[in-house]
Amino acid sequence: MTFVVPIGPQHPALKEPEYFRFEVKGEEIVDFDVRLGYVHRGIERALQERSYLHNIYLSERICGICNVAHTTAYCQTIEQLAGIEVPDRARFIRTILCELERIHSHMLWAGIAAHEIGFDTLFMLFWRDRELVLDLKEMISGNRQTSASNTLGGVRRDVKPEYVPKILRTLEKLEKATEQYINICTSDRTILARCAGIGVLPKDDAKKLCAVGPTTRASGVDIDIRRDDPYDAYGQISFDVITEPDGDVLAKVIVRLREILESIHITRQAVKALPKGPLRAKITPKIEPNEAIGRVEAPRGELLYYAISNGTDKPERVRVRTPTYANIPSFKPMFVGGTVAEIPIVLASIDPCFACTDRVALVDSHTGKTRVLSFKELRRWKG
Amino acid sequence: MMEVVNFILGSLVFPGLLFASLIGLLYIGIDRKVTAHMQHRIGPPIWQEFLDVGKLLSKEDITPAAAQSPVFTAAPLVALGAVVTVMLLLPINSAQPALTLVADLIVIIYLLNIPAICMMLGGYSSGSPFGAAGAGRYVVQLFSYEFIFILAIIAAVVRVGSLGLPTIVGYQAQQGWLVLDWRLLPAVIAALIAAQGKLLRVPFDIPEAHTEIVAGPLTEYSGPRLAIWRLAYDVETIVVAGFLAALFFGGPTAYLIGNIQIPGVVDFLIKTLAIVLLTTTLRNIMARLRIDQALKFFWTYVALLAIISLVLVLVVP
Repeated sequence: MTFVVPIGPQHPALKEPEYFRFEVKGEEIVDFDVRLGYVHRGIERALQERSYLHNIYLSERICGICNVAHTTAYCQTIEQLAGIEVPDRARFIRTILCELERIHSHMLWAGIAAHEIGFDTLFMLFWRDRELVLDLKEMISGNRQTSASNTLGGVRRDVKPEYVPKILRTLEKLEKATEQYINICTSDRTILARCAGIGVLPKDDAKKLCAVGPTTRASGVDIDIRRDDPYDAYGQISFDVITEPDGDVLAKVIVRLREILESIHITRQAVKALPKGPLRAKITPKIEPNEAIGRVEAPRGELLYYAISNGTDKPERVRVRTPTYANIPSFKPMFVGGTVAEIPIVLASIDPCFACTDRVALVDSHTGKTRVLSFKELRRWKG
Repeated sequence: MMEVVNFILGSLVFPGLLFASLIGLLYIGIDRKVTAHMQHRIGPPIWQEFLDVGKLLSKEDITPAAAQSPVFTAAPLVALGAVVTVMLLLPINSAQPALTLVADLIVIIYLLNIPAICMMLGGYSSGSPFGAAGAGRYVVQLFSYEFIFILAIIAAVVRVGSLGLPTIVGYQAQQGWLVLDWRLLPAVIAALIAAQGKLLRVPFDIPEAHTEIVAGPLTEYSGPRLAIWRLAYDVETIVVAGFLAALFFGGPTAYLIGNIQIPGVVDFLIKTLAIVLLTTTLRNIMARLRIDQALKFFWTYVALLAIISLVLVLVVP
């Protein structure tokens, strides 16, 4: 006999409302289903209503945590639409900001993961060290979180030469701290007991279900937009793509922590190789009819923007595919066969960001039924 | 007449409800402050627990229709009553407790289980899946730690040869603390770990793991009833600490420093605080286990410690 354990829309393990339905036999999970759409905000429609310049700030608000990734992807796409080149210095500054954001995002995630397994001390320590990155972000962009530093054709604020020593000093501190955290996470008995061997996403499933980002890299799939489709300054910087073969929660922890080290490495190179030159290229407010795709490796995985212009100063259509959305199907192999106690940490293990995910939800207000749009219908709606 | 007045004073003021509540709330406040410092936070003031319980007492009581039953209401009160009764049986100011019984250890073991049983009843009667899940986990956890707790106590009982707590305290006053006896050391460690499970502290806060099952059995409790639960938990903490202090750490001893007589209650407070702080440290350096892992851990390593101790006490003269 099975019974249903509902997780969400309101649940302390979820920071955002989303509904997960677990069919449970005793403590074992036998089936999993998900219903998204609780935080649908109509952002894609709103993007059509505003000018290209306004949209930067709107796209920044799709996700609070990976806001730099969103504006970078948006600006990239629009720059492709308009056919303009971003100056070198701006590309490097974007890279620095993207990597700082990755560090802070991974630290934030690691803290939450520690909290999910009841290790609140580690949670607080992760967040203490995350403050170091936020200070750097504030120094460079003027804001701790929502940086608002990317703009069409470049960046708004410069990394001044006097910032460089402070950046390098802080990165050194962070590197030491991260190494210690990796050490803790691979040796602490209670962490291993809760993370090793659970929520396993096999390599085949990761490929089949098109998982992205650290989730798929922890299953041994070697993909990273930064290397495979270099944008900004990533083509001129050497770095490794971190993968782990196991696919369990522990592998996801280790991948993210090692990515922090790699991000520190990238930021160092970018800061040292910062070329001279202007910060932004000129862009005309109106863009000729065209279409473009921009891809960015956000902290959670591949972030995709697709835009169509129609000759006015507003886009005809902007479509956003966030990494969490791509990772939702991979929940099923992670959960089925596991136990109820694993739900929070496995849910957290893909680093879900639901507000970014929810953009299309069709609910019939009379019957309350949800409807799935066919590909044809979507195509028709495009125009 | 005098006896009745004494009993009422004993159960309501010292060492009963009032004293136990004040110390319990204060100790949990200290526990929260120390936790905060360990986690690199500033933390609440140490009287925060008083404010929290006071606030809860003044709040509206919202009980879902499915939970409205006498069991749901009685559970926190019975739990509080049980732990306050243990307070009367503990040696607090001297070896002699407020209430003397013949075999008080057995009564204490029973009474210390009542909060756990009440919590299960409260959880099952709350009509919430989280309450039921928490209660189910609590049953498993109870069967994990309780046997070990009792084994550790039996080791001490065999060593002293008495089922009376006053006798054990008296024995320690002459022969030295039981914790210093190498044969009993494994039992002390096992009892401390079992106490961690009894007090639902990390890594054994499984029945109320709040990221997994909201608040477990306490999910549907609110307002005054939740305040009574908090109070019961806080008093339980000091009672368990006081019990271990009396059993293994010499109990309350009066000292003479210079010409000033330090009453035994000061010693009691210091020892219980030390034990509470030990559990605080443990709960801050670990992650929560899964219920099956906790069960396995208790029945292998911890049970082994307790059994070794019992065998040593029985075999080595």
